[in-house]
Amino acid sequence: MVKGWGGAALIFMLGAGPVAAHSPVPGMAGFYLGLLHPFSAPPQALLMLGLGLLMGPFEGRKIQLLLGGFLIASLAGLVFAHNAEQIDSAMFALAFCTCTIAALLPGRILPLALLIAALGGGLIGADSIPDAGPARDRFFTMSGSIVGANIGLLYLWAGMHWVRKRFAADWVAIAFRVAAAWGAAIALLMVALKFAEAAPWASALARL
Amino acid sequence: MAQHRMVSFLAAVLLVLGVAMPAFAHSTVAYGGGFGAGLAHPILGWDHVAAMVAVGLWGAFLGKPAIWILPVVFPLIMAFGAVAGILGIPVPAVETGIALSAVVLGLMVVFAVKPPIWISAAIVGGFAVFHGYAHGTELPATVNAFAYAAGFVIATGGLHLIGIGFGQLVKWPSGRVAVRGAGGLISLAGMAFLLGVA
Repeated sequence: MVKGWGGAALIFMLGAGPVAAHSPVPGMAGFYLGLLHPFSAPPQALLMLGLGLLMGPFEGRKIQLLLGGFLIASLAGLVFAHNAEQIDSAMFALAFCTCTIAALLPGRILPLALLIAALGGGLIGADSIPDAGPARDRFFTMSGSIVGANIGLLYLWAGMHWVRKRFAADWVAIAFRVAAAWGAAIALLMVALKFAEAAPWASALARL
Repeated sequence: MAQHRMVSFLAAVLLVLGVAMPAFAHSTVAYGGGFGAGLAHPILGWDHVAAMVAVGLWGAFLGKPAIWILPVVFPLIMAFGAVAGILGIPVPAVETGIALSAVVLGLMVVFAVKPPIWISAAIVGGFAVFHGYAHGTELPATVNAFAYAAGFVIATGGLHLIGIGFGQLVKWPSGRVAVRGAGGLISLAGMAFLLGVA
């Protein structure tokens, strides 16, 4: 049975046609870029990781609520956001809060988790607005970003949930808490760096 | 049986880490260079290494919930120390604090001190400020800050895990002796750093 499927897969691969380097649909490259955007920009990647760690312990109706809240907020952020200049600092700050809660209170206080998911979705949606350009390309890129963020979060939650279920040992939950603490530490450092860059007078004042 | 396999696995991990040769993939630029610089920073400072391992060791020695509280509290508080370093807020006697952390945490393990969880978290958190401050002030200006931060936080966590892994030996009588002996070595190393001998 296995050999049969392996043989079929081999024939399928040998019969594959050439790979087209450029996207088949004009402008679709922007969609692919958008798909990767939530995980290629450090603030978004850290926030996504934090949200995944926060949502990991939830399941059933609770995770549906959280993912739904993220989806609605990300769409709202994309549609209504404008002039999002300090958004990196805001994302790092929210990532710090998200990871801290994931480290100290995992799987608890659903309303707080929902609020954070909504804020995170809004910020990620707002940060997914591309630079000026043809409307069609911008639409493709924004669509890709929203799809990438939401499906990415779903996969993050699913992966962590699977690990928790598959390996029920205490150390697994500990490892997730420790990873969340690491994320919080990195996020706080980035907030401090952004603050130091934006307000050099603060560093001088701190040294007095 | 599962515990025996876990100990064997951890011992194998430690062995691999111990004999690993340096990997020279590419030079130190952009994300790779920043991450490498951050990763190396705690590891190249033996005072950092001793204290980080001691945190994991003491957490494993204390058992639940300290085994997760201490490795969680340390990076969080360390980040505040790093923020102080980045902003240039003066913190006195940083190197003394780092050396003292190895001495105190090592002694905690040697004498099997088991204070209330909030006290152990406060001790670990207090010393974490010094370690974070050192990392923050020594942030190279030329590397990617995000990658550097990720590198040194992950390296710190990895050292904690080594301590926790070794600390699992407390389940056996001879293991408890080994763990407390390791605490003694860490404490002696801290004294050497404090006195300027090492």
